[in-house]
Amino acid sequence: MNDELKIFIFQELVHIPDAELFSGDGDLLEAGLDSMGIMRLVLFIEEKFGVTLPDEEIEPDNIQTLNRISSWIERHR
Amino acid sequence: MLVIDSLLRHQFYEPGRTAFSENGREVSYRSLFEHAERIRNVLLHHGVRPGDRVALLLARGIDAACCIYGTLFAGACYVPLDVQNPALRLSFIIGDVQPRCMIGHGERPQWCSSAVEWIDINDPEFFEDEPEGDVDVIYRPGPEELAAILYTSGSTGNPKGVAISCRAIDAFVVWSSTTFGITDTDRIAALAPFHFDLSLFDLFTSVHCAAHTCFVPQSLTLSPAKLVAWLEEMAVTSWYTVPAMLAFLAMRGRLGPDRLPRMKRILFAGEVFPLPGLMKLADALPDVELYNLFGPTESNVCTYWPVMRHRLADLETIPIGGAACNAELMINDDGELLVSGPCLMSGYWQNGDVRAVDFPWYHTGDRVSYNELGELLYLGRMDRMIKSSGYRIEPAEIEVVINRFEQVQCSVVIGESDPISGQRLVAVVVGQGVELDGLRIYLKQNLATYMQPYRFVQLDALPLLSNGKVDHRAVAGMIQERHVE
Repeated sequence: MNDELKIFIFQELVHIPDAELFSGDGDLLEAGLDSMGIMRLVLFIEEKFGVTLPDEEIEPDNIQTLNRISSWIERHR
Repeated sequence: MLVIDSLLRHQFYEPGRTAFSENGREVSYRSLFEHAERIRNVLLHHGVRPGDRVALLLARGIDAACCIYGTLFAGACYVPLDVQNPALRLSFIIGDVQPRCMIGHGERPQWCSSAVEWIDINDPEFFEDEPEGDVDVIYRPGPEELAAILYTSGSTGNPKGVAISCRAIDAFVVWSSTTFGITDTDRIAALAPFHFDLSLFDLFTSVHCAAHTCFVPQSLTLSPAKLVAWLEEMAVTSWYTVPAMLAFLAMRGRLGPDRLPRMKRILFAGEVFPLPGLMKLADALPDVELYNLFGPTESNVCTYWPVMRHRLADLETIPIGGAACNAELMINDDGELLVSGPCLMSGYWQNGDVRAVDFPWYHTGDRVSYNELGELLYLGRMDRMIKSSGYRIEPAEIEVVINRFEQVQCSVVIGESDPISGQRLVAVVVGQGVELDGLRIYLKQNLATYMQPYRFVQLDALPLLSNGKVDHRAVAGMIQERHVE
C-alpha cells in the first residue's frame, strides 16, 4: 500500500505511531477509526488517487483493514 | 418529575405502544415500566437510596435506557459513562462521583473500586423477581433533586460532572416537545451517547410524548448510504444529532428530495454547522424543518434558530437565534453570553456534593453579539475550549497528560479550523529528545479517541506574553507555518 496513505491512516486517523505494529489485517475500526475518520479517508483517497468511490460502498466491509482498503481502491482504478 | 408521571400514565393507558426499539427488539411502554421497576428493586436491594448516584457502564440502547428509568424510580441520579474512555479517566470519574452502584456487563472492571457495588446486567439472579406493577412505590423526586450527572472536559485537567436536576430536564422536555410539536405519532432516531446532553431528547422528550425512539445501530454510523436507508425503513420523523454526522450524510449519503419522505424535523447542536454542508443538507431535504440548537451542557439548550433556507446564501455564519427553554439571556461588557432560567444545571459535582456556581447567571464562556434582525450570533470562545465533532474539549485536560510524558517540559494544545469536524487538535510540545511515537502510544492509553491530537509540532520554547503567560495566539500562528509531523 501507498506509504503516504498508510501514514495518513495511522497518524491522523487512528493515532497510532508505527504502521509496523499493524499487519494488513489489523482492525482499524477497533483501533478507533470513526465516521469522521472515514469521511477524511474517502476524501484523501479520492484526491490522492484520482478515483471516485461510490457512496454506497462507504461501509465497514471496505474499510476495516489496510488490505480491504487497498483492494477497494484497486477496484476503482 | 414530569417525565416519570408521563411514563406511569402511558404504561397504564397505552401499555402496548412501543417506547424503544433497537436492532429488531421492541420494548412497549408497559414493559419499559416493568423493566425499570425490576431494576429499581435490584438497586434498592443493593442499598441505593434517594440522593445516591448509580453509574452506568453501558452503551446507548434499550438496556441502558431501562436502567436510567430504574435509577430514577429508586430516587437516585444516573451517571452515564463513556464505555470507550480509557480506564484512568473512568476511574477518576468514579472516584469523583462516588456512586453506590455501577451497572455493566460481566465482571467488575479492574479500575472500579470495591467500595462500589457492581451489578452485572446479564446476571439472571438479579433480575428474576416478577415486577409487582405497583406505581405507588415509585419514588417521586422533587424538582431540585438530581436526575443526572454528565461528565464533560474540565479546564483544571480533570473531567467535571455537570449536575442536572429533575426541574432542568422537565423544562427541556416541555420546551422541546411544544416547540417542535412532538406527538405520539413521532419516531425519533437516537444516536447520541447517553453522556451527551443531546440524549435527553431521545430519553425523556420522547417518553413524555409517548413517541417511539429507534436506537441507531452503531455500525450504520460508518455507512452514510445505509444510515439513510435505515432512517427511511424505520420511518423516522425526528432526529437530534451533531452537524458532523449530518454533513457526512449530505456529502455521501445519497440524499435528495425523494429521500426520507417521513422525516419532519432535524435538530442539531454541539458545534457550528459550516455553511457549505448545511446548504447542501437544506437543498437535499427541502421539506424537512431544520433547527440549530445552542448551549453548553451546563445550560442545556439556551438559544435556537429555525433554519431559514432563503437566507443561507447571504449569511457568513449560522445564527444561534433567540432564547430557548424560557432562558433569560444577557450579554456582559466583555461580550460574553450569560444565561439564567429553568434549564440551568444545579452546579458542578465535586467531592460528593454539588457546588453551585455563578447563580443566577451562568457565564457560558461564549462570545456573542446581535445581528440587525435581533438574532444572536456566536463569535467564538472567551477561553480556549475546543469543539470537535460535537465533543467539547478543554486543552488543559490534554496538556496535563502530555506534560507527564518523559522529557516534555511543557505543551500547548490548539484547535485548528477544519471543514469536517469544526476543529482538529494540534499539540505543540517543548522538550529535548521527546519521542513522538512513544508519546502517541502513551496518549492513546490515557485519553479518549476524540482527544488525540492529529499532529504534533516540536518547538524549542513557547512564545510568552509580557506577564509571563503563554501567548496562545502566537503559538497558533507559529504552527500554521510549521507543518512538521
